[in-house]
Amino acid sequence: MARRRAGEEWTVSISSTTRVAPTRERDEHRATPRSNGVIRRGLRRWQEAGTFAVFVLPSLAVFTAIVFVPIVWTLAIGFTDERATRPETSFIGFDNFVFLLTNPSFLQALGNTLLITAIVVIFTNALGLAIALMLHKSGWLYNLLRSVFFTPVILSAVIVSVIWRSILVDDGLLNTTLRSIGVTDPPGWLSDPAIAIYSLSSIMVWQMLGFAVVVYLAGLAGIPTELEEAASIDGAGPLARFRAITWPLLAPSLTITTVMLMISSFKVYDQVAVLTNGGPGSGSTATIAFEVIQTAFVEQRTGMASAMAGIMLIIVAAANLIVLRVLQRREVTH
Amino acid sequence: MHRFTWIRPILAVVVAGFFFLPLYIAIVNVFKPSSEVIASPLALPLQPTLDNIIGVATRPDGLFWSGLANSIQLTGVSMVITTLLAAMCAHYLVRSEKAWGRVLLGIMLLGLMIPPAVIMVPITRILREIGLMATVPGAILVNVGYYLPFAVFVFMGFVRSIPRDLEEAAWVDGAGKFRTFWQIVFPLLRPASASVLIFLGVWIWNDFLTPLLVLGPGAGNTVTVGIYRSIGTYLRDYGAVFAFMFLATIPVLIFYLLFQKHFVRGLTGGATKG
Repeated sequence: MARRRAGEEWTVSISSTTRVAPTRERDEHRATPRSNGVIRRGLRRWQEAGTFAVFVLPSLAVFTAIVFVPIVWTLAIGFTDERATRPETSFIGFDNFVFLLTNPSFLQALGNTLLITAIVVIFTNALGLAIALMLHKSGWLYNLLRSVFFTPVILSAVIVSVIWRSILVDDGLLNTTLRSIGVTDPPGWLSDPAIAIYSLSSIMVWQMLGFAVVVYLAGLAGIPTELEEAASIDGAGPLARFRAITWPLLAPSLTITTVMLMISSFKVYDQVAVLTNGGPGSGSTATIAFEVIQTAFVEQRTGMASAMAGIMLIIVAAANLIVLRVLQRREVTH
Repeated sequence: MHRFTWIRPILAVVVAGFFFLPLYIAIVNVFKPSSEVIASPLALPLQPTLDNIIGVATRPDGLFWSGLANSIQLTGVSMVITTLLAAMCAHYLVRSEKAWGRVLLGIMLLGLMIPPAVIMVPITRILREIGLMATVPGAILVNVGYYLPFAVFVFMGFVRSIPRDLEEAAWVDGAGKFRTFWQIVFPLLRPASASVLIFLGVWIWNDFLTPLLVLGPGAGNTVTVGIYRSIGTYLRDYGAVFAFMFLATIPVLIFYLLFQKHFVRGLTGGATKG
């Protein structure tokens, strides 16, 4: 131990003279006889490989096994008529995809997913920005209110859905209260097929609102006050100032919230499972993720479920890339 | 215009009050008997009772305690492994500046957007093949693989901000790549590590689909899945369900309050940079 420490001191004292020009020191090493250089290079390659094995290989191996291989595998299973309950499986080409894209209940699930995504992205952004503008002030009160809006973000979707379910079911806390104040026929928030999907989307907006508020507050904090003051002196009203200064400068915030909200609404499963289980009626709130899980793990039709997953994968990747491209271009032009 | 400055705080309090109402209902009703929950959900618990909490904690099937043990194990181990692996991987990818590093990052970024439902069928098969299906290590493996892209992405941004000279100095001083990383780079990555840890902690604790399918009923499941199961059991017993959720949230709430700063900073890092 003592010897090692002495060695370290030695290297430190050497390095204090060489640190100024580390590159020259390495060049001097290279100026050794050729055979020595070959060995050195071989050793270097070994060290490279060793470093790669320690630093990257574990991550790469786990990512490959859990994400990459399953993606490719899912795409492959989608071209078969595989059922988990039946031993024989055959390749059936695009049959599953043709079936799905002409199947009303799959198209309904696709439509539901897109509707939920649109509602969540639009309303969470609009309300989040409005609340951020309202809370963009210093002081203990505003700090406290920020925490209030942020609390649902750290709760699980299961908990949020159970809370709202206890409020919104037919004989739940809301309708019991409505009846007691004289409303004879309150709406079936989760049992009316025409309303349920809006209730579900609103609950998602409620849960993710705090996320948008925090991102927009950070964006607002980054806008120099001189800009607004200058515009104010030039006679611009609050609305004109918002349109000319605040909104364009919040472009990066809009990109972050939109992409994050899209990713989380495309995969919505938990809320559907807890609130409506896909119903009421035939799949009025079923989403693609919900259909995939039902088809694969309840009905055991893994071939069909994988074809659904493949379609979902393409839509998610395409939508995210397009939105990212459009929003980032907007960031650059302003 | 300045005459109306009192509008803002009042409006803010009213809006926040309405927003908080569902959480208020969930909290006050933990301390009321279930009959009172339905009769007057908004009333404060005038004679607060701990019966609901005691009922959940002493359930004969031990659903809460086994769930808690599983959640703590699964969340703790998954987030630590993911953070360590991602930090090393991100450091290598940034510093080696190789073309394939960029390709790998692209593939990983696509992995960020993948809904877990899409890859669940092959994942359960791979786990069954290697004998980790319905085990906590199997669920940990899935979490590490699924959340790695996010963690690598966050770390890569931070590694770029660390001056290269520091590492070169350590390298010249004779420290190996591994030692340079652990003694010089990793401590400097502390803010990034904190952000990654808190995000993973909250996400994994709240995760529903992965533990539901990977852990299954056999090995016992997490508290989050336990809540889902307990709605079936209690059906109408709101007090008990709220108490279960209350207890299941306390650990993640404490964790969040401890690292709050880093959570918000991690969320807003990209927003302020632009």
